[in-house]
Amino acid sequence: MRTETLTFERPADRVAHEPPEVRGRSRDDVRLLVTIGGEHRHARFGDLARFLRPGDLLVVNESAAIPASLPAASRLGDILVNLCTRFQDDLYVAEPRWSAGKQGPLPVKPGDDLRIGAAKVRLVAPYPGIPRLWFVHADRPFGSLVEALGRPIHYGYTDEWPMGVYETLFSRAPGSAEMPSASRPITPNVRDAIAEAGVRILPILLHTGVSRLEIESPTVESQAMYPEPFAVSPETALAVNRTHAAGGRVIAVGTTVVRALESAWTPAGVRPVRGFTRLYVNPDRGVHAIDGLLTGFHDPVTSHMALMAAFLGIDGVRSAYAEAVRGGYLWHEFGDSHLVLRGPPAAG
Amino acid sequence: MSGEARPERVALITGASRGLGRVLAGFLARQGYGLVLTARGTSDLEAVAEEVRNEGASVAAIGGDVRDASHRQRLLEAAIAWGRLDLLVNNASELGDSPLPSLEKASRETFLRVLDANLLAPIALIQAATPLLARSGGLVVNITSDAAVGGYPGWGVYGASKAALDLASKTLAAELRDRGVAVVSVDPGDMRTKMHQDAYPGQDISDRPLPEVTLPFWAWLLAQPRMAVTGGRFQAQAAVWEVPT
Repeated sequence: MRTETLTFERPADRVAHEPPEVRGRSRDDVRLLVTIGGEHRHARFGDLARFLRPGDLLVVNESAAIPASLPAASRLGDILVNLCTRFQDDLYVAEPRWSAGKQGPLPVKPGDDLRIGAAKVRLVAPYPGIPRLWFVHADRPFGSLVEALGRPIHYGYTDEWPMGVYETLFSRAPGSAEMPSASRPITPNVRDAIAEAGVRILPILLHTGVSRLEIESPTVESQAMYPEPFAVSPETALAVNRTHAAGGRVIAVGTTVVRALESAWTPAGVRPVRGFTRLYVNPDRGVHAIDGLLTGFHDPVTSHMALMAAFLGIDGVRSAYAEAVRGGYLWHEFGDSHLVLRGPPAAG
Repeated sequence: MSGEARPERVALITGASRGLGRVLAGFLARQGYGLVLTARGTSDLEAVAEEVRNEGASVAAIGGDVRDASHRQRLLEAAIAWGRLDLLVNNASELGDSPLPSLEKASRETFLRVLDANLLAPIALIQAATPLLARSGGLVVNITSDAAVGGYPGWGVYGASKAALDLASKTLAAELRDRGVAVVSVDPGDMRTKMHQDAYPGQDISDRPLPEVTLPFWAWLLAQPRMAVTGGRFQAQAAVWEVPT
């Protein structure tokens, strides 16, 4: 697929700049666009359970965001180093940036040294195929730097908020560079309504990296991906397979869950697995392990758009996003939600 | 050798003068590994050594042929001088004749030369290095190829040598486990290297990725507990790298 296929028009003001709770509203006080079989319905996130059926399975990511943005001193002046993926205590893939609002690539080269607090950090090698990202090695554990100096990663369209804003009801294991944001609007009330609807919620783990991966190659499929640590437990793998066998729907809460389940997928079903994945879910590869996706609204020409096109078809994404633009839905991690389901809707 | 400072970790890489070996050398040096590097092409090897030395790494660059026992001994003595060996990468490989002959036409001489370089020399180096690897809880990486399992026309000599190396890796992993030495096979996938060009003389291979494409895999592999990966065969360009369960 040609990369420009993933472009779409969106007015510049359709971005959520702050989480609803800073204005005293509930986290679930956001809108929900429901796309089923090419048709769209407008709802509130609090009504999520109405669109689920007994025997459906929701799969969430239990990874928690860490304050992964570190201030660094370099020969270019003061910069940011946003940690992306942990390989070892002293070796990460990271994104050196000019600032929160201004991304790289920076004019740096292998062997260049940075200072982060008292630590000496060396740029080891650029990440192959993604020039913004570098392998970085520190003379002490990055964890100690995160603890002392780390701030939550944020970008130009929103302020930095307290760490609690980036936690979800399912956050268990710290390690993500950015929060898995699709489950952010799930409040205890919404979770209880889901349970009352006869729908189970089970976790996978995927420590997500820096989110804004623009596709820079001429075709969608040839874009390089960076790896992310992930695990699908035997219990979750079994529940996914049993849900499918019983005719229920497996609904991924977030693109991170899609990546984890698809990485664990075989034609015989989903299997337990623990490792690193850089599986690229795109229209060529398709989507096999899920029947539904609860997510946010994604930027044009990104790997997330490629995933949406893999699940919905590019015409389906265009139709849904045109509806979201017409309806005034808000983009990004504090914005509105989008539920995409295969098959007919539940009553209600 | 700039042997004043004792590096905390030491890696020995064969075939380090170009391609994958060269890229891996720079990647490890910038993480603080001391390097023992070898290759047959001495001037290319010295250029690699100079490059990483300029960035502050400790390097012993020793030109020679790993099929030669006295050369293997010199490599080992360089690691012994630093007191440890954490990583041994058997990367040097012999393609055989170029263009690649069919097995029907392959000569016994070529077969013996390829097996000597790709199977017997790596095993001999592992044999010599095992006591030092055992003291360091080290990892042995034997570079293999999809030709080892592919049955591709023309790749029979090279592929047979790599298939045998795969079995040797798996066997050594089982035999050395109790001594704390891990052994894995790594298939780096197609890359834009001199060896790949020799396999396809005159053809345009510019669509193949550079050896740097394997760096994320090396970062992952070296982060795993040794005994969790030992005996495994990994594809460096795969979408998923998993710890065997």
